[in-house]
Amino acid sequence: MTGNAPTDEDLFAIAEQVWSSYLDLEGTSPLIQMPRTKPSSDVSASVSVTGAWRGHVVVSCTMPAARSAAAALLGIELDEATEDDVTDALGELANIIGGNVKSLMPEPSALSLPVVLVNGSPGWPSASEVCQLNGEWLGESVAVQVLESTNEKGA
Amino acid sequence: MIALVIDDSRAMRLILTRITGQLGFEVWQAGNGREALDLLEASDVVPAVALVDWNMPEMNGLEFVTAARSNPKYRTMTMMMVTTEGEQSQIVRALAAGAHEYVIKPFTPDAIEEKLALLGVSTNGATA
Repeated sequence: MTGNAPTDEDLFAIAEQVWSSYLDLEGTSPLIQMPRTKPSSDVSASVSVTGAWRGHVVVSCTMPAARSAAAALLGIELDEATEDDVTDALGELANIIGGNVKSLMPEPSALSLPVVLVNGSPGWPSASEVCQLNGEWLGESVAVQVLESTNEKGA
Repeated sequence: MIALVIDDSRAMRLILTRITGQLGFEVWQAGNGREALDLLEASDVVPAVALVDWNMPEMNGLEFVTAARSNPKYRTMTMMMVTTEGEQSQIVRALAAGAHEYVIKPFTPDAIEEKLALLGVSTNGATA
């Protein structure tokens, strides 16, 4: 990869901005950075970057965290959040985080529309991890991964 | 005064609707550029401002701005990109296509309000 690869700290700084702008407006329930572990994940949302840099940005979290995100973004009660709401909310989080990661990468490149998987996890065998954020929000696991394609034609 | 919010994310449309609604705008929503053009074509009224996402299915924000700018009917409509596309080259592309201002996600309500005020699009003043 050319240029300066983003670090775990860069990723956390981006996520913190997203949380303070949309998910933790009062500053009472911030995203807390945790040690690297294998996060538990019920929902994952990803965007792919193609161009001068090729890879994926993946946001994954537990279903309770996903429902909380949907409720916060949509301004609804937690028990009102449907699977469509969860898909929309996680997709937008991946889009925002992915777009900000893309801006740290070599240009020109393009961002895909988000893909959200509920009760499934995406797999990119031809990709290696650039950086990762393991976090906890409202006591639930939230993770963000940046993966670089190692395949000539993209992973 | 009308604000047209164009974003494929329902959550983002609601956030922008909340912000512009609190500023006193009547808000129209569209899920992509095509839907927005259809809304505009169906009305004799032209919104004061369009807040436009970039990455959307069917017709993206850049294509919408280009199409809207080429139609004299919408020449009074201020267009503000609200997007995750933060690279300088993308900002230049959007402004060259006819966007007047650019906000990068994530944003705060204050950022949207300040940009609208800078553009002279305010329910207290200027643009119709």
